[in-house]
Amino acid sequence: MLIIIGQSLISGLLMGGIYALVSIGLTLIFGVMNVVNFAHGEFLMLAMYLTFWVFHYFQVDPYVSLLIVTPALFLIGAITQRYLIQHLIQAEHYTQIFATVGISTVMANAALFFWKADYRMVKTPYMSSTLNFSDLVVSYPRLISFLVAIAITVLLFMFLKHTYLGRAIRATAQDNTGAKLMGVNINRVYIFTFGLGSACVGVAGALLMPIYYAFPTVGLHFVLTAFVVVVLGGMGNITGALFGGLVIGVVEAFSGFFISPQLKEAVYFVIFVLVLLVKPSGLFGLTKG
Amino acid sequence: MRFLKGNSFLLFLVFLAILVSMVQNAFVLHLLIMVFTSIALGLAWNIIGGYGGQLSFGHAAFYGIGAYTSTLLFVHWGITPWLGMIAGGILAVITSLVLGIPCFRLRGTYFTLATIAFAEVLRILIVYFKEFTGGSIGIVLQFKGGFWNFMFRNREPFAYIALGFMALVYYLSVWIENSRLGYYLTALKENEDGARALGINTYQSKLIALMISAFVTALIGSFFAQYLTFIEPESEFSLGLSIAISLPVMIGGIGTAMGPVIGAFIITPLQELLRIYISGEYQGLQNIIYGIILVVVVICIPQGIHKWATGIMWRKTRS
Repeated sequence: MLIIIGQSLISGLLMGGIYALVSIGLTLIFGVMNVVNFAHGEFLMLAMYLTFWVFHYFQVDPYVSLLIVTPALFLIGAITQRYLIQHLIQAEHYTQIFATVGISTVMANAALFFWKADYRMVKTPYMSSTLNFSDLVVSYPRLISFLVAIAITVLLFMFLKHTYLGRAIRATAQDNTGAKLMGVNINRVYIFTFGLGSACVGVAGALLMPIYYAFPTVGLHFVLTAFVVVVLGGMGNITGALFGGLVIGVVEAFSGFFISPQLKEAVYFVIFVLVLLVKPSGLFGLTKG
Repeated sequence: MRFLKGNSFLLFLVFLAILVSMVQNAFVLHLLIMVFTSIALGLAWNIIGGYGGQLSFGHAAFYGIGAYTSTLLFVHWGITPWLGMIAGGILAVITSLVLGIPCFRLRGTYFTLATIAFAEVLRILIVYFKEFTGGSIGIVLQFKGGFWNFMFRNREPFAYIALGFMALVYYLSVWIENSRLGYYLTALKENEDGARALGINTYQSKLIALMISAFVTALIGSFFAQYLTFIEPESEFSLGLSIAISLPVMIGGIGTAMGPVIGAFIITPLQELLRIYISGEYQGLQNIIYGIILVVVVICIPQGIHKWATGIMWRKTRS
């Protein structure tokens, strides 16, 4: 029994690292622009397919293709903001949401159209290798993905904390008019933030490919989880998203084992509603606004 | 002329009824039914999403509850879908409270996120309890014609019923627009703090609007289950359906009764034609076109076609 609990905890935490990374991207964009990017999951899907195709045609290892996929997703996010969302900054709030919904619809179906509904996998030599600690088994690629996810998160924190641009992003998130008055070019901050949030799923997509498979609607599962995580951590709260991601990963692993793997999303939602009822500002401190 | 102005929609309804009685082509009838139901669904969504400004991307949940309640009652216990429809509506109202009570205490996007997750969870539950619900395969209704079975040999009765629904929700919307509730919703949509300062119970107003919206959406879900005689969790509870419900509203014009009518007349026939002519060969293409239309409309005419067109006419008549 203790082994099972330990094993669930480990696999939950490892998956939670990826959830955290996806959710941090979402909550970062929300915190700064007050827009929930409904295409966030589709950006993840695109990152996964990119990783897959780079592997398929050039035999680039998914962990190496991080270096290609992450900037590519940054660029896609920045372009989306600059040429689509930016036009709607002055418009009513719902138009921005609908624009991202439209983008998400186009992307998911474009993937279906061009790449078909097949499940795509990357076959690596280390795919099924494991590390064993007495009775506990740790999947090697999952461990690497987790460690990279955490490292990237730490880097992101340091960036937001210590660089000028990072401070400008946080200032805009707190009060965009104030930031503007202090001489921050907030339009540029918006573009950069959207790029940064998308780059997070760029990393996550590459990290997922060795342990998961890509298909046109893969984004939906992850983005639904990210919604729960973001609410759990407090909307716009990056630290909250990190811990929320880990918590949901563990909850998923335990409910998958002790209740039913098919019902684990139902368990999330119960948590989601409970958090809304008991502590709407999120489990980890305060939200903005 | 004054009579015409006040009752132009009534004349429009009469025209549509005559159209239904004259049309012989089964496909055209199908198109009309799709348009009528899209309008009814869009108007229902508009009550909370448009007037109240609380965007829901989970209306498929209410639709699915309607479809599943009437169908399961009929299949397991032989209860007439007419009653099942009401039962589905009531169940949808109860679930809307489960959703609304925690979410409407909060501002902003919480509600939208919760609606998506909610529909997803219902889908999972339907798939899980497969002995009762048919699981992911769904349920096929055996054809037993007759009024009490809500099944008809040809499409004409369905078209009249759909038209009736559309008329019902339209007048409900107009009534809400001019009621106390409608003014409350407009006020809280524009400025919630201001509305509360004036003594409006915004929480209660949002809940009532959601309950009405959920009830009507479930009725149409039941109707559709009877019309297609097939239900499955993958389509009844999907995010795609929730978006499709809100799309005519967004394209026609949010927060007006006329917007969804115009939006559905434009987008629904297009969608059905695309589905029939290209979706078999080119999977996904129809939804790509669909999504592009949404993005273009949102960016170019964010106020919707209705207000945009009336704006143009205004300028013409004044100059």
